[in-house]
Amino acid sequence: MNLETLIHTQLDGEITPEQHAQLENRLREDWQARRLYLELADQHARLLQQPQIATGRLPGQASGIQASRRWQRLIVPLAAAAIVVAAFISWPRETAVVEATSNGVAILSQTLDAEFANKTHRSGETLAPGTLKLAKGLAQIEFFSGATALIEGAAELEVISAWEARCIRGRVRVHVPPAAKGFLMHAPGMKLEDLGTEFALNVKDGASAVHVFEGEVIAHTDKPPASLRQGMTLGSTQTDFLPAGELQSLVKQRSAQRFDDWQKWSLETRKDPRLIAYYTFKHWPDDRWDRLVNNFTEPRRPNRAGGAVGARWTQGRWPEKEALEFKRPGDRVRLSLDGSYTALTLACWVKVDSVDKKYNSLLLTDGYDNGEPHWQIYEDGSLMFSIMYRPADASKGAKHNQMYFSKPVFTADSLGRWHHLAVTYHNQSGRVIQYFDGSEVSREISMLHQAGRPITFGPCEIGNWGLPTEGHQFPIRNLNGAIDEFAIYSAALDAEDVKALFEAGKVE
Amino acid sequence: MPESPPSTESLILLLTRHQEALFRYIFSLVPVEADARDILQETSVALFRKFDQYDTTRPFLPWAYRFAYLQVQKHREKSARSPLLFSEDVIDLIAHERTHIEPQLDERLRLLDGCLAKLTPKDKELVTSRYALRQNAEEMMQRFDMSRRTLFRNLEMLRQRLHECVTRQLQTEGLA
Repeated sequence: MNLETLIHTQLDGEITPEQHAQLENRLREDWQARRLYLELADQHARLLQQPQIATGRLPGQASGIQASRRWQRLIVPLAAAAIVVAAFISWPRETAVVEATSNGVAILSQTLDAEFANKTHRSGETLAPGTLKLAKGLAQIEFFSGATALIEGAAELEVISAWEARCIRGRVRVHVPPAAKGFLMHAPGMKLEDLGTEFALNVKDGASAVHVFEGEVIAHTDKPPASLRQGMTLGSTQTDFLPAGELQSLVKQRSAQRFDDWQKWSLETRKDPRLIAYYTFKHWPDDRWDRLVNNFTEPRRPNRAGGAVGARWTQGRWPEKEALEFKRPGDRVRLSLDGSYTALTLACWVKVDSVDKKYNSLLLTDGYDNGEPHWQIYEDGSLMFSIMYRPADASKGAKHNQMYFSKPVFTADSLGRWHHLAVTYHNQSGRVIQYFDGSEVSREISMLHQAGRPITFGPCEIGNWGLPTEGHQFPIRNLNGAIDEFAIYSAALDAEDVKALFEAGKVE
Repeated sequence: MPESPPSTESLILLLTRHQEALFRYIFSLVPVEADARDILQETSVALFRKFDQYDTTRPFLPWAYRFAYLQVQKHREKSARSPLLFSEDVIDLIAHERTHIEPQLDERLRLLDGCLAKLTPKDKELVTSRYALRQNAEEMMQRFDMSRRTLFRNLEMLRQRLHECVTRQLQTEGLA
């Protein structure tokens, strides 16, 4: 038998003791034989581990059964501690969960009146290497290395890596903390190596000027490298450099203005007679119990005020605005809403930090009786509205809630930011329309709809579901995020109304 | 900043990421699938017990290979009378050779996927039956209507073709 056949016979488990001895001798004597053996054994081991490559997903029942048997055989004698490990060696191998990756190197941390020429950017967005063309306004970029650059439109800045950028034109001011020492800024005719400092750069008509405000910069030009220290300027001294702190104060002014505008609008909107309840999550420092979530509808209806449980006060859309943060399984706002209605609109401003449960509560009634709405975020990031109507003769197990899902709206991109959500429902048409940031994301009528059945709330809560009954486990559905405005209407608002709610309250 | 002690969680992450490589290493020393899996299992347990000694600044696999090697030795001692196990000196030779050519082996696997994709439908069916459905010889003989001899001959030729395809690819890339 030749060497190849011996190896394959070994791999297929068909080898006899004599052949095995033969193979062993060849491997002992000849390094090339060992190499061939290793290559073939490695290939075979790979096929055993990943048979699905190139053959597509296969109906692997046979292997599944074998596997679980093997798995049990392996796991039983092991100490409990090892089970954790054992679970990862089970066969067949589960499709590996691929860790999310990003090619980002910087964050667009703040913008003011910014308009970008090549594509739209939002503040908070992660930036991959590429060129940022700021047509107007101000933008602050925080590189992952720790360096920060403020740029003023019109400007063009190429983000090369967390440690390197190129100013093509415009005014830039750079701050480099000690941790980002060595940050490189390229500009026409020069390369600036930062030694922990603050400097400004102005590139105009292909000529660069740099001024150091603090620390030291090594300027590499066609001349020998020059050290620039505090107060020194290279290039035209007639240039005006971008002042620091401008963005911060302007952003602050702007957000104070947005908060004022919203507050004025809010004082008007609370008189809307269609409102059942309106919560602005205003924190009352003189509330001795610190738990009041006041209902601000006018005329006043204090019986519809809410009570916070667990949830803590935090900052809302603007520094001046308060919000309640829902984090722990018990966090919630208890409400009791009387009355029976023919239509509804639920609208709120929410910052979702993570969609980490199967159902993530927005507003749910306790239990799930006829005419009661449930509004949640489903595990895939979609909005989910449902309302229960169970016929009197229905069996207990059957599903009678009318459910409506939007497309997924909470993705990595929309988490951690403030968004406006709304849903409208009318009990005659049966139409449910859901909105995300003022735009429609779903419109549907349930097959189970029957006209004219009343809508009721009763005891309900924001950010969680239900009072646990004694001795029972309760599903964990608390929202992971914050809410800073919640409105409940007794009418189905039209698209324009919802758009107006969004426009009046949007952050920027 | 002081290094935090390695946690169970990080071991699980490391094992998940490297279990295939670890299995391949073990299989090269003990080329019997069931035995290699048992040894992989025992190696994981050993790693779990000694994980507090792992220096997180060092690569994981060389460290894990040492444990795997010890478990292979243990396995040999347990079943010392089996005539189908490699002798200790041969195991040492193979393990030694393997550390030398590991980068090439990894490179070969990268190319293997492409070669699998080029197989004829008939060969693909053979791969599926043998490796994905994990059918035994009897099932495969029935399915492909082949004698035992032909079946294993075909499997050998199939793996040889894959091996040659990979070698050719390496030569084209100038890496052989």
